[in-house]
Amino acid sequence: MNTFLAALSSGTSRGAIFALVALGLVIVWRGAGIVNFAQMGQAMFSTYIASTLITNGNSYWIAFFVALLSGAVLGALLDILVMRPLSNKKQSELLSSESMRAAVPVIASLGILGALQALAGIIWAAEERGFPAPAKQEGFTFAGNVLPFTSFDLFVVSIVSLTLLVTTLFFTKTGIGLAMRATALNQEVAKLSGIRTNRTRTISWAISGAASSLAGLLITPTSNLSPNTLDLVLIVGFTAAVVGGLDSPAGAVLGGFILGMVISFVTFYDTPEDVFLAILAVLLLVLIIRPRGILGSKDARRV
Amino acid sequence: MLKVENLVTRFGSVVAIDGVSMTAQESKITTVIGANGAGKSTLLRTISGLEHPASGSITWKGQSILGKRPEEIVRLGIAHVPEGHAVISELSVEENISMGSLFRRKKYKSDVTAAIDEMYALFPRLKERRKQLAGTLSGGERQMLAISRALVSRPQLLLLDEPSLGLAPLVVEQIIDSVNTLCRTTGLSVLLVEQNANTALGVADHGILLALGKVVADRPASELKADATLRAAYLGY
Repeated sequence: MNTFLAALSSGTSRGAIFALVALGLVIVWRGAGIVNFAQMGQAMFSTYIASTLITNGNSYWIAFFVALLSGAVLGALLDILVMRPLSNKKQSELLSSESMRAAVPVIASLGILGALQALAGIIWAAEERGFPAPAKQEGFTFAGNVLPFTSFDLFVVSIVSLTLLVTTLFFTKTGIGLAMRATALNQEVAKLSGIRTNRTRTISWAISGAASSLAGLLITPTSNLSPNTLDLVLIVGFTAAVVGGLDSPAGAVLGGFILGMVISFVTFYDTPEDVFLAILAVLLLVLIIRPRGILGSKDARRV
Repeated sequence: MLKVENLVTRFGSVVAIDGVSMTAQESKITTVIGANGAGKSTLLRTISGLEHPASGSITWKGQSILGKRPEEIVRLGIAHVPEGHAVISELSVEENISMGSLFRRKKYKSDVTAAIDEMYALFPRLKERRKQLAGTLSGGERQMLAISRALVSRPQLLLLDEPSLGLAPLVVEQIIDSVNTLCRTTGLSVLLVEQNANTALGVADHGILLALGKVVADRPASELKADATLRAAYLGY
């Protein structure tokens, strides 16, 4: 029973973080049609900025908000400096075929990931360092028993739920949210409606950057921080997004929790070595039964 | 009001518009007719900024709009309803309409609401279905929605591309009537592209006949309608 509860609580808190990573990927995919493999590189970079601020005597919360902000700024900059010029048809003959036009930004995102990791290695050295949690990482006690759910888990789950709620409201209730959805769904009609699609795309990158930086801040207290620590998180987050349906924010959240649970239960009941096998099994199962992902829409592109 | 001169638009080596000069007069309906592939849609798409011309000029209220992006051109008062009931199926009717007025919502907040209400008055069926996804609408309703989406931007010139495409004659009549009424009562200028020349010339003030990207005739609509030779040669009836 205790093992089950422990697996469940760790699955919830991991799942929340993967949901956040997947959501970041989905926002950029929907807004710009790009799978952004640099996402966790951006998160790693802003977590290092937070770490540096804390080391220099600033409070956790200042570091926390600066990291979110720098995540957003970095995301916006990548779009403006790299992705926008790449998608500009007139400039590059390279992008004459449809498949190249889809592939080039993805390859560019891998390049950005490499560059960010190298840069982080140069600035902060490549060895692992710890990153603090804002809440206790010991389990709650109830009637003399230590529960497998910590204050930090509670913090993670609540802040991620809040983020998901705010993001949903933003997309469905605000004018910018509507403009962003319109841009993602049909760029031509969006442009003809007077929506400045370049700008809404940059906002997608910024929101995604902030969301993944939040994921970075929440996962590093348990995984430590190095230029490469978040690579695995990206792989799991990407799988979560594909499992849930790459074009569905709700699917991203669902996929995140499914993978969180799978990883956690395999770790507790089997061995951690089998985790990636289990992830692969889930991915294959979903791709065979429902290639568009659990909540993906019919005409979503195959991944 | 809108003046196009020697416009050339190419797709690779194919010349879709080959030196077109024309004007759209203020508060009038100008129709561009011609067979399939004559370059009618390309002409509208070049005016609204979706396609980039190889040469020529487009002047709107005395200023060149050449090279401007579509999202800027609509802000200058030219709204384009492209071919094929261009709405976003995954968004609701309400969202599709308000999408067209997003860029005005800060400056003209109360007028945005008024403009949306006017559309619901013009097409009451849209009001009944305002919570439905646009993808669930009939072809005629989708065309009404596409026109409403364009009109809430309060344009001075409406570029309307084949509104009759794939619709039942009765629905076509209703849509054309609505546009005609708007033009006559509010002073909206309309540039109407139609393959269905009879319908278009019936409502238009002025007609331009395109063939293979060139202007073959540019005359009052009534004259064009009466010219049996032109009709036989270019429109096939």
